[in-house]
Amino acid sequence: MIDRRKFLTTVALGTASAAFLSACGQSSSSGQTGSADNPVTITYTWWGNDDRAERTRKAIALFESKNPDIKVNGNFSDFAGYWQKRATEAAGGGLPDVMQWDLSYLRDYGQRNQLLDLGTVKINTDAFEKSLLPSGQIRGKTYGIPTSTNAFAVYYDPAKLASLGIAEPDGSWNYKEFNAFLAEVGAKGNGTLFGGTDYTGIWWNFNIWLRQNNIQAFTEDGKLGFSKDDLKKWWNLTADLRGTGAIVGEDKATQLLPKSPFGSNVTATEVTWDNFMAGYLADSGAKELKLVPVPSDDPDNLGLFLKPSMLMVASAKTKYKDAAARFIDFMVNDPEVGQIFKTSRGVPASKTQRDGTTFEGTDKLVVDYEKSIEKYLKDAPEPPIVGFGTLESTFKRVTQDLNYGKLTVDGAADAWFKEAEDLIKQNA
Amino acid sequence: MTQSPTLSRRSASAPTPPRKSRRRGADARAGYTFLLPWLLGFIALTVGPMISSLYLSFTNYNLFDAPKWIGFDNYVTLFQDERFLQSVGVTMNYVIFGTPLKLAAALAIAMLLNSKRKGQGFYRSAFYAPSLIGASVSIAIVWKAMFGDSGPVDQGLSFFGINLGGWVGNPNMTMGMMILLTVWQFGAPMVIFLAGLKQIPADLYEAASMDGAGPVRKFLNITWPMLSPVIFFNLLMETIHAFQIFASAYIISNGEGGPAGSTLFYTLYLYLRGFSDFRMGYASAMAWLLVIVVGIITLIFFKTSKSWVHYSGDAK
Repeated sequence: MIDRRKFLTTVALGTASAAFLSACGQSSSSGQTGSADNPVTITYTWWGNDDRAERTRKAIALFESKNPDIKVNGNFSDFAGYWQKRATEAAGGGLPDVMQWDLSYLRDYGQRNQLLDLGTVKINTDAFEKSLLPSGQIRGKTYGIPTSTNAFAVYYDPAKLASLGIAEPDGSWNYKEFNAFLAEVGAKGNGTLFGGTDYTGIWWNFNIWLRQNNIQAFTEDGKLGFSKDDLKKWWNLTADLRGTGAIVGEDKATQLLPKSPFGSNVTATEVTWDNFMAGYLADSGAKELKLVPVPSDDPDNLGLFLKPSMLMVASAKTKYKDAAARFIDFMVNDPEVGQIFKTSRGVPASKTQRDGTTFEGTDKLVVDYEKSIEKYLKDAPEPPIVGFGTLESTFKRVTQDLNYGKLTVDGAADAWFKEAEDLIKQNA
Repeated sequence: MTQSPTLSRRSASAPTPPRKSRRRGADARAGYTFLLPWLLGFIALTVGPMISSLYLSFTNYNLFDAPKWIGFDNYVTLFQDERFLQSVGVTMNYVIFGTPLKLAAALAIAMLLNSKRKGQGFYRSAFYAPSLIGASVSIAIVWKAMFGDSGPVDQGLSFFGINLGGWVGNPNMTMGMMILLTVWQFGAPMVIFLAGLKQIPADLYEAASMDGAGPVRKFLNITWPMLSPVIFFNLLMETIHAFQIFASAYIISNGEGGPAGSTLFYTLYLYLRGFSDFRMGYASAMAWLLVIVVGIITLIFFKTSKSWVHYSGDAK
């Protein structure tokens, strides 16, 4: 039997000890170089699915065969986990040498001196649109080189629309017409096919709507450029559609993760970036998917822009600056890399790479789409404010709560603004 | 839990009371020498980070810049943070309903397995198996598939005319799903219960039978009081364990605590604040608040234990 004294002297202490360690790394000023006999090894990490992993591995193999003095160690994860890993590595001073990067996180790391100023190394940017490069620059320093561009679009599956007897849209629509279209799909889809997902849940779509109404999302000094009323107006756009067949319910969408409802053949349309084409085709098994512009109440201002779909960055602490720069240069400029990725990273940003790539089939659709909206395109957005990644995910989460009926539009706007103001104050 | 083996070993090998103080000093030296490797690890890997996280909890720290001292701001902000309050609610729900259910299941199975029957060894292993794999990622994924739309659970219930749809996407059902997952992992407390049951002298039951006591009577008057230290130990451990739920919630909700915040457990929110939002000071404050709350609850358990936990040698 257990006796009291022995038992009680052993006090059980439950701890939620989160080990928050911080350490400092050392940086060396001169980049080390290797030779064919004694190559240097750089690490490279990216986010994406198996398809991208396969393509990236091919590109790395090609790079290594052309640069025998450099070896590249590749590693990848999904998008959400990707940033948690980078945060931990940055705290420990061990970011990979070269990384695929997203615009949303460029300020977080760039302004905090975690990324290498690529202006100090040799990367050829002659073949880039001059309007695109600033999106990788902060306060005159270049932290990221865009690999490719993407633009917002409405995807639809022509076969699904045909089976319901609905005419294909031409993309000249306002929000009312777009809503009516979604509702029609929902009504005819009869519970098995929904119109789309709630398009008000995506930050970038809201950003486009703001541009259509000539409102800036963020001010120069890193504050919000729009009001709570603007946000309420936005979330009210689909108020009548929520809970109907026009929008797939959040309970369904949640279960399909990590696939999207569109990729799972549950919806007929999706509003998102045009470089998701390859992923959607692979997920859904659809024969063909088409792209049309997003709705706008002002037919002359679609609010569209080309965004760097991803950037290449290097760690500020890399020991192999030269090797990192050569790898980045290769990934963004080499025509053969373009042939490997096609449009799965977006449309190649470098003209050298774009011209060296043959686009066929669906890849051509994406390139053609970006050409077709050329006259509506405005300047690429500045890198968003520090902590933007949080705001973006909060935006999505709050819209999900709206769809679950856990929040009203007013409550949702309050919740998001509180988070945003809190964050801006934190980083001030 | 790492504490349980330590505890049981110490209580099992109850040493003879020390007689000579000289012997005692030498013993202590040898003891500490043997403890040293563990002690060093404990100080470097547990105490050190805990102290630094205590400091960080009073700062605004984003991982990149030097921590900025802000006093109790983090702790004050916590109580105005609706998601924090939601995470407290979710976790309390889980602890209050999940822990007793799990212990009841563990005790019931332990009592079934305590009888002398052929193949008991097999059954014991079989019932323990879920706990070996239960905390793993794969089970959380299987769970997610089982409770999805048209998953086995949905179909099984539909067969009986209960149409709930998928549980995974329904904010009102996810807690039930999480609790079922923890109840299913009753193995660890079950093994401890089983060991406790074996310690109860059989002659007590024989005497009770002679006096005409039924099974309920025997349970209430013999099993429960004789087992009470073990029950207390399991209750304490499982409660603490429940507060720390993370992995399964992380997998089932894709690390977001959804749907609609219904699986936003305390540690998950802590993690999101720290590693998604880079608010390490805030996350540290949450961690320390949890340590304090769990400490208080443990203390309350110990205080109330006097009235219902019976140890051998206690005057009754």
